[in-house]
Amino acid sequence: MKLKGYHIFFTIFLCTASAFAQLDSIQQLPEVMLTDSKLVHFSKGFKLEKLGDSLIERNATSLTETLRYNSNIYFKENSFGMVSSPSFRGTNAAQTAVIWNGININSVFTGQTDFNVISPLNYEEIAIRSGGGGVQYGSGAVGGSIHLNNTYSFKKIHSTKVGLLYGSFATLGGTASTTQTWGDHYLNVGVDFISSDNDYEYVGKNQKNTHGEFLRFSAKINEARKLKRGVATWNSEYSYNNRNFSGSLNTVGKDGYNDIATRNLWQIQQEMGVFKMKISAAHLFEQFKYFPDSDKPLYDKGRANTFISGLQTEVLLSKKFRINSKIEYTYVTAQGSNVGENHRKTLAAVLLFNHKISRDFSYGLNLRKEFLNGFDNPWLFSADAKWDVSKSYSLRVNGSKNYRIPTFNDLYWYGGGNSNLQPETSYQVELGQEITFGNLKTDIAAYYISSEDLIKWVPISGSVWEPINIQETRNYGIEATLGYFIKLGPQHSLDFSANYSYTKAEDLEKKKQLIYVPFQKAGGTVAYDFRKLSIYAQGLFNGEAYTTTDNSSSVAGYTVFNFGASVALPFEPNLTVGGRLKNAFNTYYENVAYRPMPSRNIQIFLNLKI
Amino acid sequence: MKMMNKVFFLAITALFFVSCSNDDDSQPEYVPAAFEKGILVTNEGPFGNGSGNITFISEDYSTVTQNIYRTVNGTELGNIVQSMGFQDDNAYIVVNNSNKIMIANRYSFEAVDSIKTGINNPRYFMGTDGNRGYVTNWGDPNDNGDDFVAVVDLRNNTIAATIPVAFGPERMVTYNNKIYVAHQGGYGQNNLISVISGTNLENTITVGDVPNSMVVKGSSLFVLCGGNPSYTGNETAGSLVEIDLANGQVLNTYTFGTTEHPTNLTMDGNSFFYSLDGNVYKLNSSSISLPGNDIIAGFFYTMVAKDGLLYATDADDFASRGSLKIYDLSTNQQIQDFQVGIVPGGVYFNE
Repeated sequence: MKLKGYHIFFTIFLCTASAFAQLDSIQQLPEVMLTDSKLVHFSKGFKLEKLGDSLIERNATSLTETLRYNSNIYFKENSFGMVSSPSFRGTNAAQTAVIWNGININSVFTGQTDFNVISPLNYEEIAIRSGGGGVQYGSGAVGGSIHLNNTYSFKKIHSTKVGLLYGSFATLGGTASTTQTWGDHYLNVGVDFISSDNDYEYVGKNQKNTHGEFLRFSAKINEARKLKRGVATWNSEYSYNNRNFSGSLNTVGKDGYNDIATRNLWQIQQEMGVFKMKISAAHLFEQFKYFPDSDKPLYDKGRANTFISGLQTEVLLSKKFRINSKIEYTYVTAQGSNVGENHRKTLAAVLLFNHKISRDFSYGLNLRKEFLNGFDNPWLFSADAKWDVSKSYSLRVNGSKNYRIPTFNDLYWYGGGNSNLQPETSYQVELGQEITFGNLKTDIAAYYISSEDLIKWVPISGSVWEPINIQETRNYGIEATLGYFIKLGPQHSLDFSANYSYTKAEDLEKKKQLIYVPFQKAGGTVAYDFRKLSIYAQGLFNGEAYTTTDNSSSVAGYTVFNFGASVALPFEPNLTVGGRLKNAFNTYYENVAYRPMPSRNIQIFLNLKI
Repeated sequence: MKMMNKVFFLAITALFFVSCSNDDDSQPEYVPAAFEKGILVTNEGPFGNGSGNITFISEDYSTVTQNIYRTVNGTELGNIVQSMGFQDDNAYIVVNNSNKIMIANRYSFEAVDSIKTGINNPRYFMGTDGNRGYVTNWGDPNDNGDDFVAVVDLRNNTIAATIPVAFGPERMVTYNNKIYVAHQGGYGQNNLISVISGTNLENTITVGDVPNSMVVKGSSLFVLCGGNPSYTGNETAGSLVEIDLANGQVLNTYTFGTTEHPTNLTMDGNSFFYSLDGNVYKLNSSSISLPGNDIIAGFFYTMVAKDGLLYATDADDFASRGSLKIYDLSTNQQIQDFQVGIVPGGVYFNE
């Protein structure tokens, strides 16, 4: 935790500096552009949910919390703030791709993203794209993908935000960002940090969460410049996490984890009539240090550099046919204490096609093939269609073949790594319908995913384990979301949202539900606004999940509630103060067996917009 | 009929759990010395997120009781029940990840005491006459310099002395008041046997790489060494090493093929048994010539040969309940198969 002081100081410095920056604000919504435009154009027959600022801010401690309360995704979180991995539609943690401005940022070593090391406040938009996205986003987009997007605009914007947070368990957070445009320039700079002793009580157990301290710091720069026929953009992000790993009900935590990531993306877009061309280059860096004993200087380490260059062309013919082709070359070089030094080259060719037959009906066909990486690369495809049957009813359907390539740990781990592994493959179909009655919006989706050659570590002999392409699974389920907004007179409004999912994820050999995939999950939020006052109540039900592959033991289901209120000060409307009461009824619950989650706790915050 | 008995017993046990969890005031009733004659299986439990436990199977195979320590005491053992040792009427249950030794009466499993200080990453317990017990400790598995053997004063169950040893101390056997500690090597590999007398490290004997199991036959100690696995970049063959217990000298070394890494040496009568590449091999202990005869197919996590039977555990995928399989060594046929707990790592007997 040595760097903690330095990071806090840096944040405070930037908060102060940005607060004294440009003060003339503008309230109108500027026209914004996504760095990853294909997310919108080539996902029409897919379920795409966007989380707005107010939703994110309610659950901004970590990306885990943001998505746990506001989506159907289940998270297996090893105690609050510790390693957190998703299960999207019952798929495994490496089958959810995290896409930062169009680039897959899952770890080279584990194939996963730890959702607790990402700040949800660093992005203008967080989108959840359900279903297979392998063609667009490559390996790992099986259950779905989470999109962390930064946007840009050349409208007049001078906006600065500063937020401070203080909460139970010595939780301290700060965020500051400023967005400025001038002439042909767009610039967005921000920092964000949170730290916590995280020493909550295990409700009713007379025990505390010890050795669970965490610190997360991130900084971002997003820049765009208008060119003669296009635009040049640069997105940059740095994140630093330092955590001790807490123990469980019957173990004492000793280990620690420290990770750093940097991400940079440069893109130049040019438009020539109906043609658009985009040249991009990206660099991703990840480094982790795992300390078996956090008090000792001994650690295992891994670091990886990923270089990506791509050329994308898009043409829109007769305003109906949109064709996008992309060639992308990726070079990964990684070294780690347990995997040695290894490299991987991949050349990917992608063809995306969308045809808008009429205002109400469009369909898409997409293809991807990879080369050079040494695997038997399958052709990946997806097809989707969307039909707006009437103003209040629309249907969507999609089907796809997706895959996940083995990670460096799977391939090269000392004592087990299997260099003969092949990608996992999966097929899926989804049928969805959106129904709108006035202010009531619902979305109901049913899906089926069949996966084979799933990589599983199995004991080969004695103490040696080896990953092999062995497991077959079948996932199916339904998801429902509901949103309702009503204005109760000129000064009152009520906003209601809820989601429910039923997930069956079955190991076909054992005929059992996969571990840590609850059958049921539901969540809901009611928010009430009156003038400058806003209050909300939020509930989450997480069903029982099995913890053993024979389904002989499980972690119990739970229901937790959070409440919050905020008010914009009458004398200074740009200043909002508020508080949140989390786990309001002090419920004992575990997310992972024997690892209790926090007791009742509070957070107070202050947000300033200039 | 046997099946019915089992079902009935499980039903009773289940009822019993419900009743004791609903009523905290009444102590669970149990038959004293309920576990007097039979097989005890320690189940490590899921790593990190659960508790290990102990399964009891009666001598006549008619009853199987899961989770006996919790049934009797109402509390769980802790994370990773690594092994169990005995002295007099006590069982010393080594709970590795929770860093403690739980002591219970070996026949009733009523809790007696526990040891929670003075040990660090404990692995095995060996009791001796004279009120001394020995516990091997890895310390930090990534630190090769902090491994030790703790000497327990069995009268008050405290650590009376600490003997620093080479890294990765694991299983122990005792002969003639001396303790022989195999240094399997923790997360790495080692090739030593430490000889402890009282509270002193008397000698170290170099054997093959990764000594994983030992038996005493007559005045010889047979040490089965797995050899370095291939991923170390320095793969070495497994070996069976015979040590003269009178003087600590290596008498014979029998070598396996370079890529053969045997485990689980156990002895019954005049035969040795070991596991290798999914088979159980039998070896005449009086005239050793490798390899032995493969008699039973199966990947076993641990196995013990006793009185003409082989007790072998199958940990399946290490994330679901495993099983104890019993083979008749005269026919090499499986005669029993019991479901036990998660990752069954030790087989012991009350008789």
